[in-house]
Amino acid sequence: MQDTGKNIIIAGLGGQGILLFSNLLSKYYMNLGYELKISDVIGLGQRGGGVESHFRYSNKPVLSPFIKAGDVDYLISFEQTETLRYLHCLKDDGVVLTSTFELSTSSVNTRLEKDMPECKTEIIKRSGKKTFIVDPDEHKNPDFDISKMMNVVMLGYYAELRGYSHDDMIQVVKESVPAKFVEGNIKAYQKGTEIACAELAVK
Amino acid sequence: MERGNKFAVMKMMNGNEAVARGAFEAGVKVASGFPGTPSTEVMDYTRHYYPEIYCEWSTNEKVGLEVAIGASFAGYRSMAIMKTVGLHVAADALGGAAGSQINGGLVIVVGDDVGRTAGDDYNDVRHYGNMFNIPVFEPADSQEAKDLMVKAFEISEEYSTPVIFKITSVICKTTSKVIIDDEITYEAKCNVKYPVSFSKVIMTTMMMNAKGSEHPKLTKCFNDFPAHMKRLASDSNDFDFNRLELNGKKIGVITAGTPYYYAKEVLPEASFLKLGLVMPLPEKKIRELADHVDELYVIEDGHDLLEKNIKDLGVSVVGKELFPKFPDMMRFTPDIIEERLVPKAERRSVLEGIPFRLPVSCAGCSHLFVANILKKHKIKAAADVTCGLIGCFPHMESYSLQKCMGSSIALSHGYNVATDHKENFVAMIGDGGFWATGINGLMNLIFNDSQSTVIIVDNSCLAMTGGQHVASSDFGFNYKPENKLEISKVCEAIGVKDIVTVDAYEYDNLEKAITSAVNAKTNSVVIVKKPCVTKFKLPKNTPSYIDQDKCTKCRKCINLGCLAIESKKTKDGKVDIVINEDLCVGCGLCSTACKFDAIKS
Ligand SMILES: Cc1ncc(C[n+]2csc(CCOP(=O)(O)OP(=O)(O)O)c2C)c(N)n1
Ligand code: SF4
Ligand code: SF4
Ligand code: SF4
Repeated sequence: MQDTGKNIIIAGLGGQGILLFSNLLSKYYMNLGYELKISDVIGLGQRGGGVESHFRYSNKPVLSPFIKAGDVDYLISFEQTETLRYLHCLKDDGVVLTSTFELSTSSVNTRLEKDMPECKTEIIKRSGKKTFIVDPDEHKNPDFDISKMMNVVMLGYYAELRGYSHDDMIQVVKESVPAKFVEGNIKAYQKGTEIACAELAVK
Repeated sequence: MERGNKFAVMKMMNGNEAVARGAFEAGVKVASGFPGTPSTEVMDYTRHYYPEIYCEWSTNEKVGLEVAIGASFAGYRSMAIMKTVGLHVAADALGGAAGSQINGGLVIVVGDDVGRTAGDDYNDVRHYGNMFNIPVFEPADSQEAKDLMVKAFEISEEYSTPVIFKITSVICKTTSKVIIDDEITYEAKCNVKYPVSFSKVIMTTMMMNAKGSEHPKLTKCFNDFPAHMKRLASDSNDFDFNRLELNGKKIGVITAGTPYYYAKEVLPEASFLKLGLVMPLPEKKIRELADHVDELYVIEDGHDLLEKNIKDLGVSVVGKELFPKFPDMMRFTPDIIEERLVPKAERRSVLEGIPFRLPVSCAGCSHLFVANILKKHKIKAAADVTCGLIGCFPHMESYSLQKCMGSSIALSHGYNVATDHKENFVAMIGDGGFWATGINGLMNLIFNDSQSTVIIVDNSCLAMTGGQHVASSDFGFNYKPENKLEISKVCEAIGVKDIVTVDAYEYDNLEKAITSAVNAKTNSVVIVKKPCVTKFKLPKNTPSYIDQDKCTKCRKCINLGCLAIESKKTKDGKVDIVINEDLCVGCGLCSTACKFDAIKS
């Protein structure tokens, strides 16, 4: 069946390359002729704040820039506390793709608040949604710095999950990142597709 | 993509970029203003893509708007860019321009922090439309942002009025497609209709029939601004950007901006009046919609202004009774509309107990050094609106007073005169806040013989809004080394008795400079120098680490507010205090705070 469009929330922290991720994805979908609306919620200049991007593509004009809670098809998250913030927005058959990376929150660090007692990865797994979990520490390698390029790893993962053409996606990456970073980005992308393949084979 | 015009191309743009494109198409000659989230990038895009347009970040919003008003009188289209709190600063300039003769179109692009993503107060720029009786536009997506900008300039000239162009944190950061004519070339139009332009005090004096006001020299200058606005209100019924979509007869919605799309998605059957010009209102269209439907709602972000203005026309609408405003609601979402207007809508709520993210300073930020020294010596201080205001947060508690941008110097002076200078209540201010309006506070305290201490954190830019240049920066749109202003020289010229400049990372020197300034019985300025770590991507020193054998987990280092210091659960369930080596820049601040010698580099 033809894909008529999806609602995606992309979540994480400032500095994790979420805007690049959504930019690359938007070019891919535009090339396929979809209509798009992408709305970013970003806080202040200082660090450590959450970033949330509502990404909608459709074969009809997209109306609301924000996705209604309950209408999200894919939640793609680069930090697992942030993943938790949007779990309730997913459709019943929605899919979570998340990194296990965690940056402790300032309110917990300074004891203004207590952290959640349970392991966050477990809460995500128990959410009743289809979950795909990537631990960046398990995939450290000499070819590229995964802590800096998790966004492109996740792009490769997502593309594999959706059965997209890697050639087309890599083409978008090539056109969008500065020449000197292309090689590293392609390696990161391929790593993402490999991790996804292995995971999908198990599932 | 072909749309009748073979040069039409489709581009993805966010609202800020679309506004800049609109300004280009309108032939704007001068863009001035002052940075402020969410509208800062209107200037960035204008400067980047349209070098034909003269751009300047002015010292503050009032100056920025005055520059635009002057350019407009010269006959050229001009825009001033600021956020809503910035327009509070520039309000007097706007009041002066409202009701006066306008030559080149004058548009004030104002960013409302709808949803408070930048942590502003709950403001609404449309109040200025009501107060000064001037038009306000509000686009709902990027296409409209571009198109309405062009209209805004036309209306400014046609009806001789400044125009407010309201954009919001949602519009500014939402990317959607815009069809543009790629063949349009830039043309700065010149429209000099009026040889004079005076503030409307002159007009109102004549309207009051004051003695002598019938003199032909005066009547020649008359600008009948109430008539212009009446004509605009009447014409607004014919503008196609005030769009009546008559559909189902049950629900009617009057709306503007992105809430139009939220409502449209949730209520596909409803009838709509989608306003592009939110002030003045198209009365006929409102009545037509009211007659068509059983229930009439107004869905607007911000304050209940459309609602009040519609009710003033004698039309009854439901607004805030059903959709209570702040603090019950930060901004509209499709969910809120669905919950109230769609029967049996499902309600979902966020998981409980997810810890909240307080903003934290970047690792190595110079503000942390100042905040730490003030707290260590129990020096009472006022903070300004800068990245350093994080020092007001409960974990840091370095400052006890903080208000608006540029205020801290006058605030502390007021405190000191009231307490007969028995304690030196210190002012901390950024270089940007200093040039913006803080410099007035400094001049004021000198000639009023105050003995206050001012700490100016000079990080060479407006850091909190992303690093734009200030008068003392080494870069900038119109930068020339010989025109750079020197903070210390200006302070000296103003008459400050004691001025010292210190490098923020020289902890001992900084501590000495601050404590001796505070204890001296004279006015003083301490200039704390260190370029913003994030803006200027300073080279890093060797990162520090915590020796877990020595660490007592006293958490003193965590309360410094550095992003790199974290408390982390270990595999065996304990909590360790650790330094994130990817984030740490090795500034050395935390080792000065640790009493147990646990922090090493
Ligand atoms: C009147 C007003 N204009 C603009 C802003 C937006 N704003 C917030 S902080 C800031 C920059 C402050 O720069 P500076 O004083 O140099 O402090 P820094 O953040 O660099 O430490 C600006 C422009 C505001 N809050 N109020
Ligand atoms: S952006 Fe610059 S001034 Fe602001 S917290 Fe970061 S380092 Fe400090
Ligand atoms: S200040 Fe020193 S002892 Fe205290 S938590 Fe930090 S490293 Fe540990
Ligand atoms: S040395 Fe300490 S205070 Fe400085 S950046 Fe590293 S962790 Fe933060």
